[in-house]
Amino acid sequence: MSTEAMDVPKTGFSFDLCRRNDMLTKKGLKSPGYLKTGTTIVGLIFENGVILGADTRATEGPIVADKNCEKIHYMAPNIYCCGAGTAADTEAVTDNISSQLKLHRYHTGRESRVVTALTLLKSHLFRYQGHVSAALVLGGVDVTGPHLHTIYPHGSTDTLPFATMGSGSLAAMAIFESEYREGLTRDEGVNLVTKAICSGIFNDLGSGSNVDVCVIEKGKKEYLRNHLTPNPRTYISSKGYTFSKKTEVLLTKITPLKELVDVVQVGGDAMEE
Amino acid sequence: MGDSQYSFSLTTFSPSGKLVQIEHALTAVGSGQTSLGIKASNGVVIATEKKLPSILVDETSVQKIQILTPNIGVVYSGMGPDSRVLVRKSRKQAEQYNLLYKEPIPVTQLVRETAAVMQEFTQSGGVRPFGVSLLVAGYDDKGPQLYQVDPSGSYFSWKASAMGKNVSNAKTFLEKRYTDDMELEDAIHTAILTLKEGFEGQISGKNIEIGVIEADRTFRRSPDCSSNRRLSSRGRVAVSFSFRRCFKYPE
Repeated sequence: MSTEAMDVPKTGFSFDLCRRNDMLTKKGLKSPGYLKTGTTIVGLIFENGVILGADTRATEGPIVADKNCEKIHYMAPNIYCCGAGTAADTEAVTDNISSQLKLHRYHTGRESRVVTALTLLKSHLFRYQGHVSAALVLGGVDVTGPHLHTIYPHGSTDTLPFATMGSGSLAAMAIFESEYREGLTRDEGVNLVTKAICSGIFNDLGSGSNVDVCVIEKGKKEYLRNHLTPNPRTYISSKGYTFSKKTEVLLTKITPLKELVDVVQVGGDAMEE
Repeated sequence: MGDSQYSFSLTTFSPSGKLVQIEHALTAVGSGQTSLGIKASNGVVIATEKKLPSILVDETSVQKIQILTPNIGVVYSGMGPDSRVLVRKSRKQAEQYNLLYKEPIPVTQLVRETAAVMQEFTQSGGVRPFGVSLLVAGYDDKGPQLYQVDPSGSYFSWKASAMGKNVSNAKTFLEKRYTDDMELEDAIHTAILTLKEGFEGQISGKNIEIGVIEADRTFRRSPDCSSNRRLSSRGRVAVSFSFRRCFKYPE
């Protein structure tokens, strides 16, 4: 019978078009650009928990698409995740895993652990073989203590005391490598994170605008949105803008349409609902 | 009864126009432990008796009242394992709605989807209906709401309802004591009194479970808070209950 002719759609990601796209780029076709975050994201472990930091510029090629976007994503009440790479990918993947963590919390009745989020994220990214372009810095505090991890688009992970990702990662890492030490206090940690992000903002073209910071400690978290705004808009003209006069109006004449045209009602059906 | 010839297959109507398996499922519910719910003007309370088969059972491991979303909770009468399946499915549906619309699911929507699942099992081959009735309590933009969902998949919104063993007495009691402008504290008190009506043995904080949701839209459950029971000189039970310090599910 014709059951074989009917194509049951395969589940999962279809890689068919990836081969075609590769072939087209080899032949010289410029692939459409997508919104990359071109970022500086950092994280470090201090004496009581984890501090995450991010800049707020989203770029589309050479253009700044969003001057104040949010790159620190909520995963669980005690876990946050910074995302670099393609903005849609980081948003979608963190949303998805955040949802899965929530269901898991209801099922177990317990607080989520950072390693759970880590494993869910890396499994997802590995399954998509690097086509989901999300580089993440995951940090949080759970029953086993504070944790900080980096996750690469292909699915590999590192566990570190301090980490940076994104186009500004080298600038930020330079700051961390010279000034990080164990047992930082909260204020020292926040200052160091801010310094590292500023280094990325000022030395990397793909990063800019403001600094977002998130401090996670046992039992509490503080999301400091726009903790520092080192790039305020200072060029607004105080006089306002004036435009030159338009074309002069010489004559105004209004003719109602009824004098020219006869409007006849033709029995009209009301529009059926 | 002529119906008995038609009571083996779920997907066959009996001559009297009933699906006998669903009737049997309702019987299973009717022999389950009593549970009830009351909708107050500023919140909803659901309660159930928690009779364990033996004193050796660790009562802290038994949780009859479950959370579906931060602002919706549920209690059941009937077969516990069946309710677990429904709770799991409902939680997932609520989460999928949230992912899609970035909005907490309204209570009516969740009830509708749960009822649709229950109805599915009354019209498929090789499965049996769920042997539970659920009381879903929630607080959303439309205010406090209480719904009952039956094994057939039908659902109703109630001001106060009871299910299980003692249903007729409990409902009569609730009809007498329910007022439209009842506040949550009164509703909790009434709920406990209603449970006490049909209770075999001594009622205490350990053999009932209470779930409460008020205007802050956070569902709370009783076993993990202090519930003191004082028996006044007239023998009337007064239960004081600091449910604000109650166990809150992890967000």
